[in-house]
Amino acid sequence: MLSIFKSVPTHMDYKGQKLAEQIFQGIILVSAVIGFVYGLIIQHFGWTVYIVLAGFTMSCLLTLPPWPMYRRHPLYWQPAIAEPSGENREKPQENLKKKKHK
Amino acid sequence: MNTVLSRANSLFAFSLSVMAALTFGCFITTAFKDRSVPVDIRVSRAIIKNVDDFTGPRERSDLGFITFDITADILSKPIFDWNVKQLFLYLSAEYTTKSNVLNQVVLWDKIVLRGDNTRLNLRDMKSKYFFFDDGNGLRSNKNITLTLSWNVVPNAGILPLVMGSGHKSLPFPDAYETTKSY
Repeated sequence: MLSIFKSVPTHMDYKGQKLAEQIFQGIILVSAVIGFVYGLIIQHFGWTVYIVLAGFTMSCLLTLPPWPMYRRHPLYWQPAIAEPSGENREKPQENLKKKKHK
Repeated sequence: MNTVLSRANSLFAFSLSVMAALTFGCFITTAFKDRSVPVDIRVSRAIIKNVDDFTGPRERSDLGFITFDITADILSKPIFDWNVKQLFLYLSAEYTTKSNVLNQVVLWDKIVLRGDNTRLNLRDMKSKYFFFDDGNGLRSNKNITLTLSWNVVPNAGILPLVMGSGHKSLPFPDAYETTKSY
């Protein structure tokens, strides 16, 4: 069961985070402008609030879960460089030997 | 922005800020509006009695009875804009007596909600509250000014107090109405 949950990707890379922020700010600002104009025309502030809340839920759906579009720029780490010092090299070998003895 | 919770936090904070800005915009678009409306007040009957005022000075005080009509076309100039929840209308009487320069008595009030019929057309209304003077200042007082005013209860911002344009000045008779026994 736990392995299923661990296989679900929850990660969002840096460019994805920036994209998510831009997307929710854009959606909420656009819905705010639309709601303000609509509320001003029909003279009903409740509709302004409803339209902003609709934009809020829409941007929640779009940016809260880490959709695959936010994982298009993964970080590539450098491969581990083998360290030249002698002691560090020998230790894993000793461990291996011990395991063999057992 | 790296976890679901931090994204939810910034999303919520941003939405709240935007909502606050919108509310301020709603206030600023209606703040400098002239909400006064012509009001027509007619008084068909005005009598006074001299009765015991058990709440006040424990002496016989003047009690006025007024039957009035109010016509106010609030629809003609839309008072219910998007920053108004309800109106609190009240009819007040102002007059001067020997003991006080300014007396104000609220005679009648009414709450008009959003969506109600805003065209006031009231006929033969009796006052809701007692029109007691704190003495004998009502008898043969020739200048009682009736004014319809209203508080605008807003969504955001200040609570304006609007006076309807159109006052009614009425005289009270010189003689007391004798109390009838029922």
